Amino acid sequence: MQILSKTGNELALLALKSDLASKGDYLLIEDEKSKRKMIVQVFDEEYLSSQALLEDIVKDEVVNASSNENLHDPLNIGILSRMIRDARIFKAKIRAAVNQYGKLSSDITWLPSRVDSRVRLLGISELCGFLGRSGVLPIPVGKSASKGSEEDFEIYAEDLDGRLNIITGKKESGKSHLSKMLVKTLIKHGAFVVVFDLNNEYSGLAWNKDGSPSDVQKKIMILEPGKGLRFSLRYCGKAAISDMLKNALDMPAASLREFFRIWDWLENKQSLGIDAIGNAINTWNINELVRDALVSRYHVIQASGLFADNEEACFQFENAINHNNGLAIIINMGRVGPTVRRMIVEIVLSKLVDLLEQGKIHPIFLFAEEAHLYIRDTYWEDIITRMRHFGIYTTFITNQPDAIGDGVYRQVDNIFLFNFTNDSDLDKISRVSLADNDTIRSIVRTLPQRYCLAIGKVVCDLPIVIKVAQSEVLTLGETKKFFKKSA
Amino acid sequence: MVTQLGTYDDSLDFGSLNLAKSVGICLGSRLERLQGKKVIFSDEERSLVPIDGWGTRSSPYCATTITTIAPLMENTIIASVDSSSIQVAETEEGALYGVKCGIALAFGGHSLMHFKIGPILFYLTEEAAKDSKLDSRLAKLVLLDGDYAKRLLRVRVERVVQTELSAHLVGSVLLVDGSLRSSIFEDQDNSMAKIAENCTLYRNKLVGISKSTKFKILDRISAPLAKVPSPAFIEVGMVIKSLVRNSIGSNLLVKFERSSPVLRADVVGNCEESLGRILGNDSVARGYPETLRLAHHISTFTATEVTCLKSHILTKYDVTELATEDIRRTLLSSISV
Repeated sequence: MQILSKTGNELALLALKSDLASKGDYLLIEDEKSKRKMIVQVFDEEYLSSQALLEDIVKDEVVNASSNENLHDPLNIGILSRMIRDARIFKAKIRAAVNQYGKLSSDITWLPSRVDSRVRLLGISELCGFLGRSGVLPIPVGKSASKGSEEDFEIYAEDLDGRLNIITGKKESGKSHLSKMLVKTLIKHGAFVVVFDLNNEYSGLAWNKDGSPSDVQKKIMILEPGKGLRFSLRYCGKAAISDMLKNALDMPAASLREFFRIWDWLENKQSLGIDAIGNAINTWNINELVRDALVSRYHVIQASGLFADNEEACFQFENAINHNNGLAIIINMGRVGPTVRRMIVEIVLSKLVDLLEQGKIHPIFLFAEEAHLYIRDTYWEDIITRMRHFGIYTTFITNQPDAIGDGVYRQVDNIFLFNFTNDSDLDKISRVSLADNDTIRSIVRTLPQRYCLAIGKVVCDLPIVIKVAQSEVLTLGETKKFFKKSA
Repeated sequence: MVTQLGTYDDSLDFGSLNLAKSVGICLGSRLERLQGKKVIFSDEERSLVPIDGWGTRSSPYCATTITTIAPLMENTIIASVDSSSIQVAETEEGALYGVKCGIALAFGGHSLMHFKIGPILFYLTEEAAKDSKLDSRLAKLVLLDGDYAKRLLRVRVERVVQTELSAHLVGSVLLVDGSLRSSIFEDQDNSMAKIAENCTLYRNKLVGISKSTKFKILDRISAPLAKVPSPAFIEVGMVIKSLVRNSIGSNLLVKFERSSPVLRADVVGNCEESLGRILGNDSVARGYPETLRLAHHISTFTATEVTCLKSHILTKYDVTELATEDIRRTLLSSISV
């Protein structure tokens, strides 16, 4: 490879077909005279094109179409000619430099020599060596997607700890697959994970593909409203219930005040319970319109199956978390309606914040699939600012990048970008992501299934294309189809 | 006029120079004769002709016998040959030339195949010329002038191929780009005369077609041919033979299509039959045989090939490329001249 030109922070490199490199690969430009090195990343590849070359190709095509060719080429110039026709230009972004002492530097103001520079593919392990990437809790996610050499690639759990992450890509590009991989490894490392599972697919983490129990089966807790996911009103507390009524059930302020008068009265009588609230609403001396509002909400609460009076049969986060070394609490929301989904999220998040505030549980990792479907608009900010400080580290998984507000993107620490072909999605992502527009647009558009571009802290802010490893666990959540494929 | 450097002699007055008179002693400018004439402006790199010819005025030399050509549908191989040469590099001792040759074959109205020969490199130096069988005067000529060297190489390569074809094909038509003339650059074993002899021996027809001619008189002679609504030719042997000594075969002006350009053609063999076989076995688009067009295209050097040749020389022969400058550009500055 040879340096051709530089525009801004972009280098154009001339390469032959035999020079193995692909979009996303890192190249090391070693200036032998100045002993400095430059790290660049290929973000686009195109043919070496000139008018003369195009004319040659067209001419040859026309000539060969009109009659059969017989060559007598004693100097084998034809081979060289074919090499030129297949020559390509790699467009690469300058990412970093390595100084004379072998230290990574952000000084990229110098130009490598076109004459004395040697360009070679930079393996991921070598790149990580320059970056000084290290950690004690590795998460193997697959392989680096380099054309030259596929190397195992791992991120570190420490880089997800305390961070806000987004996994996004178009449908069936492999988002959930990576997300499950992260959940599985985090709990192996002893982390506590809460998953809002919209398609009831994370329960497959408990099982291997062959149907045998997975090595994290004992660390998987599957909760469904009415089946495991059931709280007592006393455990939830007034604040959580208030949030739920206000935000998920849109209860007006006047009705809310009456509700909590009933709550206080029952609490004083030591008889706070879901049935007791129902009875009290019916007999309470209130305006009929307020009663109607309370009754309708009460029925929704009762029908949700989220609440019970028997405290021993109810779920308590601290019990689950503090008696385990690593646990994934998977909250299946696939079979419940949007209102109940919102109720679950309000209750769970309020309670978790409450417990974290009191220091009763360890920080937790929250995985939220298509969160825009159940998290109210005003809540996003709370998640990315306040909750993060209490110890809820969120990973959003979505196929609609525009459903997440710019505010979230600005706070994001890591993005795992899978394939997008839609221009408006690419626009959104490239505007708000941590990497430059050209890299996002060019690399993400052509990523194959299960390949992702990792950006952010996990890769020390140098975008890396990863081929996500095959799933070991049972794949659930696939779309049920009417027509079956014949064997 | 007074300048900073002093004054110059006022007697130096270019305005009073009578250049017209001075040149007119040997050659009159005769601009008055230009009045009312039809004109096409010249382009040194292209050979331009008026689309509708020069008009109807015929030459007094004009041969009036116009022979129409009927396509002869008898299956015959039409073999066309063309070549090109370029100067690739220069050294202190000489110059390096590249030659390419193209052969295109047609049969029964369809393209059969084509052969691309080359590029082949030749390094011409004084020593090489001394060791060769070249006449010493010719050797000096090609060493002094690159254009002659290119021509020598092209003629020699082309003739070898033509000789080979003329001796291998039977009952075919061998089409050559340009007129059929003996050249000072050809060697005796592969001369045009030898090729013509082979063609006669093997019942091949030899036809040379020129895209343009420097004989202005032929333009006027061709005027009646332009009016003929079918392929036709006229004999111009008397005119050509009076202008050129070493021409071979019958000299014709030929038109292959109704409104195609009139071309100069030399034919060894029966003219009507030869041209009829071309019409019957080759496609003649825009008045020019397709095989000859194809041979031209495959024999010309492309920019990529030239780059490849240079790369081949650099890697194969351990040469050192020196930095160059365009001397005209350097001396005359950046205004392109």
